Amino acid sequence: MALPIRYHWRNLLVRRTTSALTILVVTAVVGTLTWILGFFLALQSSLSVAGDAHKLLIIQRGTTSETNSAISPEEFNRLAQLAGVARDPESGEPLISPELYWQTQLPRLRDGGATRANVALRGVTLRAFEVHRNIRLLGERFSVGEPQVIVGRAAAAQFAGLAVGDVIRIGVGESREFRVVGHFDAGGGPMESEIWMYLPAMQSAYLRNGYSSVSVRLEDPASAPAAIEQVRSAPIELSAEREADYWRNQTSNVRFYQAVCFVLVAIMSLAAAFALANTMYASVAGRAREIAMLRTIGYRPHHILLGFVMESVLLSLIGGLLGCVACAAYLELVGSTKDMFGSSTFTTMAFDIRLTPLLVGWSLASVAVIGVIGALPPAWRAARTHVLTALREP
Amino acid sequence: MGAAGIVLRDVHKAYFKDRLEIPVLAGLNLEIAPGEFAALMGPSGSGKSTLLHLIGGLDTPTRGSVRVGDSQLESMSESALTAWRSRHVGFIFQMYHLVPVLTAAQNVELPLLLFRMASSERKRRVQTALSIVGLGDRTDHRPNQLSGGQEQRVAIARAIVTDPDVLLADEPTGDLDARTSEEILNLLNALNTEFGKTIVMVTHDPRAAGHAGRTLHLDKGVLDREEVNTRRAATASAS
Ligand SMILES: Nc1ncnc2c1ncn2[C@@H]1O[C@H](COP(=O)(O)OP(=O)(O)O)[C@@H](O)[C@H]1O
Ligand SMILES: [Mg+2]
Repeated sequence: MALPIRYHWRNLLVRRTTSALTILVVTAVVGTLTWILGFFLALQSSLSVAGDAHKLLIIQRGTTSETNSAISPEEFNRLAQLAGVARDPESGEPLISPELYWQTQLPRLRDGGATRANVALRGVTLRAFEVHRNIRLLGERFSVGEPQVIVGRAAAAQFAGLAVGDVIRIGVGESREFRVVGHFDAGGGPMESEIWMYLPAMQSAYLRNGYSSVSVRLEDPASAPAAIEQVRSAPIELSAEREADYWRNQTSNVRFYQAVCFVLVAIMSLAAAFALANTMYASVAGRAREIAMLRTIGYRPHHILLGFVMESVLLSLIGGLLGCVACAAYLELVGSTKDMFGSSTFTTMAFDIRLTPLLVGWSLASVAVIGVIGALPPAWRAARTHVLTALREP
Repeated sequence: MGAAGIVLRDVHKAYFKDRLEIPVLAGLNLEIAPGEFAALMGPSGSGKSTLLHLIGGLDTPTRGSVRVGDSQLESMSESALTAWRSRHVGFIFQMYHLVPVLTAAQNVELPLLLFRMASSERKRRVQTALSIVGLGDRTDHRPNQLSGGQEQRVAIARAIVTDPDVLLADEPTGDLDARTSEEILNLLNALNTEFGKTIVMVTHDPRAAGHAGRTLHLDKGVLDREEVNTRRAATASAS
């Protein structure tokens, strides 16, 4: 690369309007691309947090999610036979957590409470905190027997009225008042979008005596297939899945979004490449004599080629940086917490999109590739400029 | 680098347009001694630029041999010719062909960027070239901030900055008024007499040709006559 950067830089400055318009296109593409990448990275990390290999989730046979699963106390009692379950080191009790899952609607913070969305309620016993090891209390836990709830961090960030001390109305006809006594962290996993309370209190509020699901902690992840088989067969006859598999199925619609988004990104990238190619073609055409002069004084075709690729990459990187800034500004203004609905639960699942250095690096690398691709055809033409013909141009 | 001589033997050059052969040079012979300043005249379209391009390794003859210094150009590949041009020839064009976005100094620096060279050495050479052409104080100006004559001086500085053996000028004063032309011609003259550069200059203007030691006339594909300029020595010493 013989031609100095300032040569390329100034050539871009001279074509101010074209350069600015091209950068604008690239900015829009990279802004979107960065956000989409960030969205899927965040979703993935949220789901991977939920993938505790020691945990099995047990629901009613023939159902696909906790929402429509019902497990009777008799069925629950049969789970005591399950082999390979971890035990509490002190009491020796098996780590089996019966849970009741319900959805209610709460006003969203995002639009100042104008709309309401589903939020998941989970009734648990104290055993749950041993089964779900990634739960970390931020403040108090609900007291057994009191109408109290604790709220996942992501839920608190999504919905109004979930600050510590607030009171929410739940139960049949929203007749019961529960007080928020603390928040909790689930390492960014999906449970962070839930509200937890004492199981019997929730059963009584919703006039239920059974459960929705049972979470089990295994002694050894390797025994999962055997345990799943035992749960499926007589006499238990329920359905068990690894936690990671369960959540992956709950978000199977994500894969569709993902495909749509990637098609969108591909089309936008193509548009950016075309915009860059178009700009560079114009630039090459306007500089035929300059290219001929450079070739005359000893510049080789590859110098010329690299020069124009350089210019295009410079344009695309400026657009890329601005795109990342735009994405950061968007996350700052609109909020970095994104919610989406599970395919079968329709419960809000929230997670944080973060503009990490890795993500920015990926975006910039992608846009540089787009810059190279867009530049190659015009740069190739520039490299093959017929020197004598161009020198004769008036 | 010492000056180089130029020897062309039985050079033919034809272009093809719509499969029709257009002969431009037809068996041309030419000998220019090292350190000579030759003017090349002839009617428009007679092939003056074509001849200059052959000498400068920008084009290759259809037939015949072109030797510049120790290099036999007709047998060299395009890539070898490119490398040869960057070291041995300086081109000066009628329209200057400066890069508008670069300053005078940066324009002059362009040929040097092809070589491994410390940037301090580059700066020094650029400064030297610019002071030789009398533009030592205009180094930071862009071409559009310079007059035509100054632009041509920058172009000449760019041509000499690599210290080539041969300077090839294609109507270098074609776009300049009489007084400025005179200054540029005196500058070329000085490059020839003081720095020993071999110069071939295409021109329309007999007065311009008068600055050269010899004027060659190109017509119908050959050099049909030439005249030695006896007054040139006086002009050169007077400048
Ligand atoms: N690339 C080319 N293709 C076809 N014809 C050309 C080409 N270059 C030059 N010619 C022709 O060769 C002749 C000589 O051109 P040129 O050397 O530019 O003449 P001069 O410089 O003496 O005016 C002209 O008739 C011109 O049209
Ligand atoms: Mg000509």
